[in-house]
Amino acid sequence: MSSAQALSLAGVRVRYGKTLAVDGLSFELNRGEIAALLGPNGSGKSTTLAVAAGILDPEAGSVVACGIERKTNPDAYARSVGLVPQDPALYEELSAEGNLLFFGRLYGLHGYDLRCRVAIAIDRVRLNDRARDRVSTYSGGMKQRVNLAIALLHDPPLLLLDEPTASLDPKSRDLFFADLHRLREGGHAILLTTHHLDEAETGCDRIVVLDRGRVAASGRPHELIRHQGNGRAVLYGHLREPLPHFFVRGLRKRLGKSVEVEVTGRRLRLAADTQELLGKALAMVLADGIVLDTFRTPPGRLETLLRHPTPQPEEATAE
Amino acid sequence: MRQRLSLIFALAVKDWSLFLADKRAAILGFVVPIVLASTFGLIFARPADKPGGVKLPLVVVVEGDGAFTRAVAEDLVASPRVEAEIVSRDEVASRLADRRPGVAVVFTADFEKLATWKFGADGDKPKVQVLHNPLCGSEAQWAEGLVSEAVMRKVAKERLGPVVGESAMAMPFDVQTTEATDHAGFNSYSHSFNGMTLQYLLFWGMESGLLLLRDRQRSVWSRMRAAPVPLWCVLLGKALSTAGIAFCMVLTTFAFGHFVFGVQISGSVIGFLLLAVAASVLAAATGLLVAAIGGTEARARSVCILVILGVSMLGGLWLPSFVLPGWARDVSLSLPTTWAMRGLDGVTWQGRDLFGSLPSVSVVAGFTAVFLAVAVAKLVSSEARRRRGLA
Repeated sequence: MSSAQALSLAGVRVRYGKTLAVDGLSFELNRGEIAALLGPNGSGKSTTLAVAAGILDPEAGSVVACGIERKTNPDAYARSVGLVPQDPALYEELSAEGNLLFFGRLYGLHGYDLRCRVAIAIDRVRLNDRARDRVSTYSGGMKQRVNLAIALLHDPPLLLLDEPTASLDPKSRDLFFADLHRLREGGHAILLTTHHLDEAETGCDRIVVLDRGRVAASGRPHELIRHQGNGRAVLYGHLREPLPHFFVRGLRKRLGKSVEVEVTGRRLRLAADTQELLGKALAMVLADGIVLDTFRTPPGRLETLLRHPTPQPEEATAE
Repeated sequence: MRQRLSLIFALAVKDWSLFLADKRAAILGFVVPIVLASTFGLIFARPADKPGGVKLPLVVVVEGDGAFTRAVAEDLVASPRVEAEIVSRDEVASRLADRRPGVAVVFTADFEKLATWKFGADGDKPKVQVLHNPLCGSEAQWAEGLVSEAVMRKVAKERLGPVVGESAMAMPFDVQTTEATDHAGFNSYSHSFNGMTLQYLLFWGMESGLLLLRDRQRSVWSRMRAAPVPLWCVLLGKALSTAGIAFCMVLTTFAFGHFVFGVQISGSVIGFLLLAVAASVLAAATGLLVAAIGGTEARARSVCILVILGVSMLGGLWLPSFVLPGWARDVSLSLPTTWAMRGLDGVTWQGRDLFGSLPSVSVVAGFTAVFLAVAVAKLVSSEARRRRGLA
């Protein structure tokens, strides 16, 4: 493992009972790089992240972070990794400062050093004026920032984030990614899982597409898109109000089978075979009185790759 | 090792901060055992504490109109050992059903025959009926004794009085009733404060165990498990925080009992503190055991309530264990609550010294060690299975 490598997974296999969740997975992540794990539900993204975080022991394979093998030196390994779970892993009854102090102590920090780090972390996530308020009074975006600050407190070179923007609005998401980009500039390696293709495409340096526990494709976003050729036309929008289920069902019926409609919270995703169909679908959505705060059509074609992953072994071990 | 101890302390401090974060809940945590113990003490205050001793509440029915029967009934009602009134037969059923009171003495119409009864006479004897609520069997026996005494006094007075004189009718012996122990520290609230505090500690331990199970379902658990902290440190941190709060509860409850109801530690104060610590750690170990065996919160809660109520009852936390049947008293020796209760009774009102309290402390500490060992082993093994994707 080179000194530039922050994480190396080699031949990792994980089972849940009889179910094979990750099957001989191998990939590396370098310092100063943001990589996204993409894949449909059950593809092994969260399992891979849990293995990298040291929460899950693989049945086979090696897990090395910054030259430290997890199996042989679990404590040192844990110190080189910062985990940001999907739901804010915080004690809501405590303040941001209280949470940071507690989790800092778990990493062996104490005294003046701990207090300095806490102050820096609070400043980094722009929470100076609310640091002593209870976390339960924070917005979702603020909680996620504290969640990130805790993971960074012990200054790990490798940061693991499980769907970090799932509950954020577009503005908070952009701010969050700006934070991640700053960390990347500081030499941190960041591995995140996401369902949002647009943020993987625009916010990450590398994408690892997983399918049934294996790497289906890996590479820089533009490389993957180039390989895919023409894909589907996709639009991502942010709804002003959440849509009731019956309304979404009705919308699907009206748009027909040629247009896919997905609504997750306030996120809307429309996908069609052609731009023309997509345009018509958008017009129908707006005609129904649905208000979109923002929408965008990503330039790439990752959508197709994710929908129809084809294992590309030569890319799986590239880098 | 120092680093591990500091980790355990950090985990405990976090739990204490969480406990204090909800101030009202924290205050209630201290108030509830005080209310429980005080209420139990008020309800089950020993009657002997009352001036004049206990009186048996009963109603008396006089069915005939003979002078002898009426005189016996009036003597009975006037007895300092009863709290009685004369009522009509029609009232009896409803009064007994409501336990107002639980016993009725009925002098039947033929009871008047006793006025002319002669020593050695054959034939049908006059009847006195003692009716009682099904829950008041022992009171009925008590009433039977009092009625017999009143009747025989009257008969003896009428038959033998003219012969031997009134003065010779006094009881030819004295009955002296004294407590078998002469502990100055006795207070009827002592038992309720000992018992209810112990019971509440167990419930507090259960709550702490359930909190651990809840935490395991949350993201904070993932973060905790990703940190360089061995699981046994997390568990001992939980035990330390639970025991610490439990110990404060014991001190607060007994301080209240002392200042308001006069509960005293007539024996060794150090023995009392040792028992308080042992019982507090026992509560924490019970909580971890609940988490280890329960598996899920809902399952653990149901089982735990059953177990806590069972060990409280058998351990003599509600009522002294001497009221239990023999087999239950034997079973209770295998429960830590019995020993904790004996120990606390010993140091609070039986005046037991430090040496005398050590057996109870040791037994409770032994149970605690076993509970802790089993809980930690089971939770560590279950976490290892989770890590391997097997659970």
